[in-house]
Amino acid sequence: MIRSGVARLILMRLAIAIPLLLIISFGIFSLVHLAPGDPVRALLGTRPSDPETLANLRERYHLNDPFIVQYGKWLGQVLQGDLGRSINGNRLVLSSIKERAGVTVYLCLVSTVIVLTAGILLGMLAAFKRGGRLDRFVVMFGVFGISSPAFVTGIFLLYVFGVVLGWFPTFGAGRGFLDRFWHLTLPSLALALSIMAIVVKITRASMIEVMDRDYVAFARARGMSAMRITLAYILRNALIPVVTAGGLIVIGFLANAIYVEVTFALPGLGSLIVDAVQKRDIPLIQGTTLVFALFVVIINLVVDVIYTLIDPRIRFGAVQS
Amino acid sequence: MSLHLDSAKPEGAPRATMSVAMVLAFVVVAIVVICAFFGASIAPDSPFTQRLDIGDVPPSAQFLAGTDLLGRDVLSRVIHGAWTALVGPVVVAAGAFSIATVLGLLSGYLGGMVDSVIMRWVDFMLALPTPLVAIVVVGVVGGGYWTAVFVLVILFTAPDTRIVRSAVLEQRPRPYIDAARALGISKTRILVIHILPNVLPIILAYVVLDFAFALVNLAGLSFLGLGVEPGTPDWGRLLFENRTILFTNPVALLLPAGSVILTAVSMNLIGDWLFARLTR
Amino acid sequence: MMAAPLLTVRNLAISAGGRAITTGTNLDIARGETIAIVGESGSGKSLTAKAIGRLLPPGVSARGSIVYNGIELMTLPKREMRQMRGRRLSLMLQDPFTMLNPLMKSGLHVAEMLRDRSEFRDRAALKAEVARRLGEVGITDADVAERMPFQLSGGMSQRVAMAAALARDPELLIADEPSTALDVTTQAEIIKLLKRVQQARGMSLVLITHNLRLAFSTCDRIYVLYAGSLLEVGSARAVEEDPFHPYTLGLLLSEPPADKRVPKLIAIRGKVPRADEVAGRCVFADRCDWAEDECRAATPALAETSAGRFTACIRRRQIAAEMRALRGAALEAESALASLEPSISPIVRAANVVKNFAGRRGRVVQALKGVSIEVRPGESVGLVGESGSGKTTLGRTLVGLETPTSGGIEIAGIDASNFAVMNAADRAETRRTIQMVFQDPYSTLNPRHSVRTSLREAIRTSGRFSDQQVDARIAELLREVGLPESYAERRPASLSGGERQRVAIARSLSVNPKVLVCDEPVSALDVSVQAQILNLFKRLQQELGLSYLFITHDLAVVRQVAERIYVLYLGEIVEQGPAEEVIGRPQHPYTKRLIDSIPR
Repeated sequence: MIRSGVARLILMRLAIAIPLLLIISFGIFSLVHLAPGDPVRALLGTRPSDPETLANLRERYHLNDPFIVQYGKWLGQVLQGDLGRSINGNRLVLSSIKERAGVTVYLCLVSTVIVLTAGILLGMLAAFKRGGRLDRFVVMFGVFGISSPAFVTGIFLLYVFGVVLGWFPTFGAGRGFLDRFWHLTLPSLALALSIMAIVVKITRASMIEVMDRDYVAFARARGMSAMRITLAYILRNALIPVVTAGGLIVIGFLANAIYVEVTFALPGLGSLIVDAVQKRDIPLIQGTTLVFALFVVIINLVVDVIYTLIDPRIRFGAVQS
Repeated sequence: MSLHLDSAKPEGAPRATMSVAMVLAFVVVAIVVICAFFGASIAPDSPFTQRLDIGDVPPSAQFLAGTDLLGRDVLSRVIHGAWTALVGPVVVAAGAFSIATVLGLLSGYLGGMVDSVIMRWVDFMLALPTPLVAIVVVGVVGGGYWTAVFVLVILFTAPDTRIVRSAVLEQRPRPYIDAARALGISKTRILVIHILPNVLPIILAYVVLDFAFALVNLAGLSFLGLGVEPGTPDWGRLLFENRTILFTNPVALLLPAGSVILTAVSMNLIGDWLFARLTR
Repeated sequence: MMAAPLLTVRNLAISAGGRAITTGTNLDIARGETIAIVGESGSGKSLTAKAIGRLLPPGVSARGSIVYNGIELMTLPKREMRQMRGRRLSLMLQDPFTMLNPLMKSGLHVAEMLRDRSEFRDRAALKAEVARRLGEVGITDADVAERMPFQLSGGMSQRVAMAAALARDPELLIADEPSTALDVTTQAEIIKLLKRVQQARGMSLVLITHNLRLAFSTCDRIYVLYAGSLLEVGSARAVEEDPFHPYTLGLLLSEPPADKRVPKLIAIRGKVPRADEVAGRCVFADRCDWAEDECRAATPALAETSAGRFTACIRRRQIAAEMRALRGAALEAESALASLEPSISPIVRAANVVKNFAGRRGRVVQALKGVSIEVRPGESVGLVGESGSGKTTLGRTLVGLETPTSGGIEIAGIDASNFAVMNAADRAETRRTIQMVFQDPYSTLNPRHSVRTSLREAIRTSGRFSDQQVDARIAELLREVGLPESYAERRPASLSGGERQRVAIARSLSVNPKVLVCDEPVSALDVSVQAQILNLFKRLQQELGLSYLFITHDLAVVRQVAERIYVLYLGEIVEQGPAEEVIGRPQHPYTKRLIDSIPR
C-alpha cells in the first residue's frame, strides 16, 4: 500500500515535470526571436553577410518555415541528442557541454557536502544555545551569507587566500585530481558560503520551533533522555522544512555556480553559458540553458520524492478517525 | 477549544528595542541614500575622468581608493555607484510587489479558476532559477540596465505573488471576513478595506528583503557585463572592470564588493526586523 | 486522609521576566488522593503543574520548595530530576493533538518508555506489554499501536498519551485539562478512565481544570487559584456545599446549571486580571461585591478556618450569611417560560437541508443529511451537537456563508436557499433579517480596524448615512451591549475576550436583524465572563424581541438561553422539543449520552 502511494506520487510529479520541460524548451527556442533584429543576423556570428550565406543559414535553421514547425524540428533534433553547432568556431554544442560539465558537477558536489554538514551542524548548535553568543554569531553569519552573492564572497576569498596569503591559485581548474582539488577549494568555499547561510537559517528556525512544541515537552515530562529527545523528537521533525527548502537550495547552487565560475575563471558550464550570452551564440545558449533546465527539474523531482518519503503524513494521507 | 488569556493587553506598539546591528543597518542605508542623491557633491572627483598616463595605482592621499585601469578615481566611482544600487532595486521591489499584491489578493480570495491559472503561472515562473533566466534573457535581448530591471520585475513577481497569496489565505477563513460576507459587503471592498490592511505588514517586510535580492541580482548582471552600459559607475560593473587589477589595486575590487554586501546585509536586517515587529 | 503527604509544595512562586505569575502557593497531596487545581485563564494553574515537574519553559522561573516523598526537587541535579520524571511523577499536557510526536507511531510512545527494562529486551515481549498498556486505557484494537498520531482521533490520542505517561508506573500523575480539547461525550469517558486507572494503581492525581463542576465530581480536595493566588482550599464536598470565598461562590453561580433555567445568571463583573496587575491587595477585590478598604490595603493571607479548610477572604465571617443566602436563592431560582403559540409562522424555516462537501480523494462528506428546523419570531432555539454534527454548517447556510446542496431555506418569507441566485433586493433584505455571531472572540474582529471602523462598515450596508447619524448609531450600539462609548476608538488588541464578543454582537445588531445565529458564542470565554454574555443575550432578546438560533455543545448553556432544543448528531436531528423535556426526559440514546456526560 505504501509503495503504490509513493509510485503514484512520483508519476504525478513526472506528469508535471515533462510538460514543464516542454514549455521551458519552447521558451528557450523562442530566444532566437527575442534577439533584436532579424534572427538570421543573430545566427550569423562572425561570418560575412552575403546573400548566399544568409540563404544557407535560413535553410539550415528552417527560418522560412512557420514558427511551430521550426520549434518541432528543433525539438526533434534535441531529443536525438543534436544540440546544434556553436556559431563561433562551429563546434558541436554537445561536445562543449560534455567537456565543461565535469568542473561544474565537481564544484556543486563539493559545495553540497560542505553545506549539508557544516550548515546543518551550525544551525543545530545555534538552536541549542539559543540567545547565547554563538547563536548571535551564527545568525549574523546567516544574514551576511544570504546577502553576499557568490561573486562577492569569491572576490574576498580570492583576495585573502589567493593574493595576500597565496595559499590557493586564483584561476583555472587544474589538472589531475589533487591539483583540481586545490584549484577548486576557494570556489567551492565561495559557493558553499552563500548557500550554507540559507541552510543554517532554516535549520535554526526549524529547530527552535520544534523545541517549543508540546510533544517535546511531553517527552521531557516522561523522563526521556536528552539524546533520544534530540534525535527522535527534535531533529527528525526539524529537518523536514530543510528538505522542503531543498528545492530553493538547489536553485541557489545553480545560479551562484555561474558567478563563481566566472570569478575564478573556471572552465565550467556556468562560464560557458556566460561566454555564449556575451557572444550572442544562440545555439550554444539554447543548448546550455536546456541542460541547466533539465538539471533543475530533475533535482527538484528528486527532492520532492525524498520529501514524500520522509513525511508520513504525505505517504498515508489524511485518515478519518 | 483552548482557553485564551481573557485579560486586556495594553494599547500601543511593542517596545522598539533596536540592537547595535540594527542601528548600523539604518546608518548604512542612510549613507547609501545620501550618496545616491548627492554623490556629485560628495565625491572627491568625477567618476569619468580618465588618466591614462597614471593607469591603475593603489590608494594614496590623492586617490583614497586608488585608480582603475583607465586612471579613474575608484572612490568617486563607488560613491556614484550608489545611484544604480538604489534606484533599480527599489523599482524591482516596489514594482514586483505591486503586481504581486493584486494577483495574490485575487488568487487567494477568489480561489477556483482564477487561483489555478495564477498559480500555474507562478509555478512555471519558479521552475527555473531567477539569475539564470535573467542572464539569458537580458543577454540575448542585448543587455542594459533598465532591460535588466524590467526582466527582474517580471521574474520577482512570481515568488512575491505566492507570498501575498499565503498571507491572504491565512486571513480568509477568519470569522471577521465571514462577518463581512454575511453583512453583504462587496468582494472588492472586502479585499481592499478588510483584507489588505492585514496583509500589508508582511508585504512591507518582504519588499525590503526583495530589495536586497534585486540589488544582488542587478550587481551580478553588471558583473557579467550584461547590466549597465560600459563606463557607468556601478558596483557590479566595477567588479567586472577591475578583475584584472586584483594584484595592483585590490581596493578597486574590495570597495565595491564590500558596498554590495553591506547594503544587502543592512536591507536584510531591516527586513527581518520589520518582519518580527509586524507579525508579532 | 491521615497518610503522610506524597507531595508537599510550599511557597511556590513563579515569575517570568520580572513579573509575578503566581504568589506563594502551598499544596499537599497524599497517596491515592485526587486534588483539583481550579482556575480560569491567567490563574497560573498550568505553569504551577509544570513547575512541579521542573518543566517550565525558558524565561519562566520558580522559587519555593517542592518535596516529593521526602526529596527536595528544587535543588535536585538535572540528571536525577530526569530519573524522577516518568518514574515517580508524570505530567500530561493539555492538547491531545500536539502531545504526540507526529513522526512516531503511537505504540512507540509507550514502547520507548519500556525498552530499557530487561524483561522487555525481547521484541515480542515488548509488543505484548505495549498492547497490555493500551488495553489499560481502553484501546483494544491492536492496529492502533501501528498508527501515526495524525491518524487518531482526539480521544484516542489522549488515551495513548495517558498510556505513555503511565508506562513507568508513576505514583503521581498531573493531568493538565485532560479533556478540554475533546468533545463532551469523549471528555466524560476520558475522565472516567482516568479515575478508574487511578483507583486500580493507587496513584495520586492532580487535575488541573477550569471546570468547577468537574472538580467537585471527581476530586477529593479543591484548590481554587485566581490571578496567581490561592483563594480557597478544602474538601470538594465542603467547598461545594458552602464556599467560603466570594470568587468560589461567583464561579459556582456563573456556571449555568443544566437541570433548570434561571432568570439571570449571577455573573462576576469585570474581567480576569494578570497577577501583577493586582499585586498588594486581595486579587479579587476589583470584582468583588463585598470588597471593603481592608481588602485593598494588603494581600490577605490564606488562613486556616478549620482542619484542611482555608480561605483568603478576610471578611468571611461578616459576609458568610449573605453568601449562603445568595447560594440558596440561586439553587432555588427557576423561571417559567412563556410558551409561544405554535400557530405563529416561523421566521426561519429550513426544510430537508442537505450539505455535502468534497472530501479527500474524491470522497463525499455529508455534513447535513436532511435537516429541518424552525425558529419562530421572538423564540430562542438551541441547536446542540458535538464537533462533526454539522451544527456550524447549518448555521452558516442560514446566513448565506454556505450553500445547501439541496433543501429549502426560508427567512421571513423569502426563499434564501441559494444566496447566489437571489435577486439583489431579496438578498439585501435577508441580510438585514438574519445575522451571525461567531465563536472565537480573538478573530471575530478585524485586527486592523478600530471598533468604530468595524461598526461603521456594518452600518454602511444598510444605506447611506451622514457622519453624525453613523456616530450616533455607534454610540447607541455600544450602549446596547454594555460598553462605554469611548471604546469606539479602541483596537481589538486592547480589548478582552468578553469585550470583543460584545463588539461583535453590536456589529451584528447594527442592521437591526430579527434573528441572530449564535455559533458557540461563549465557549471560548472564561466561565466568569460567559455568564455576563449569556445575560446580555437574554436582555437583548427581551428588549429587542430577537429570535436566536443558539448553536452549542454545552447543554447547561443552552438550557439557560433556549426554549426549544434540537439535538444534532452526525448531520441528523435525533431529538427535538422543549428544553425541559429534552434535558429532563431524553428519549434518544445520543441525547442520553450527552446528558450523562455533564459532570454530576
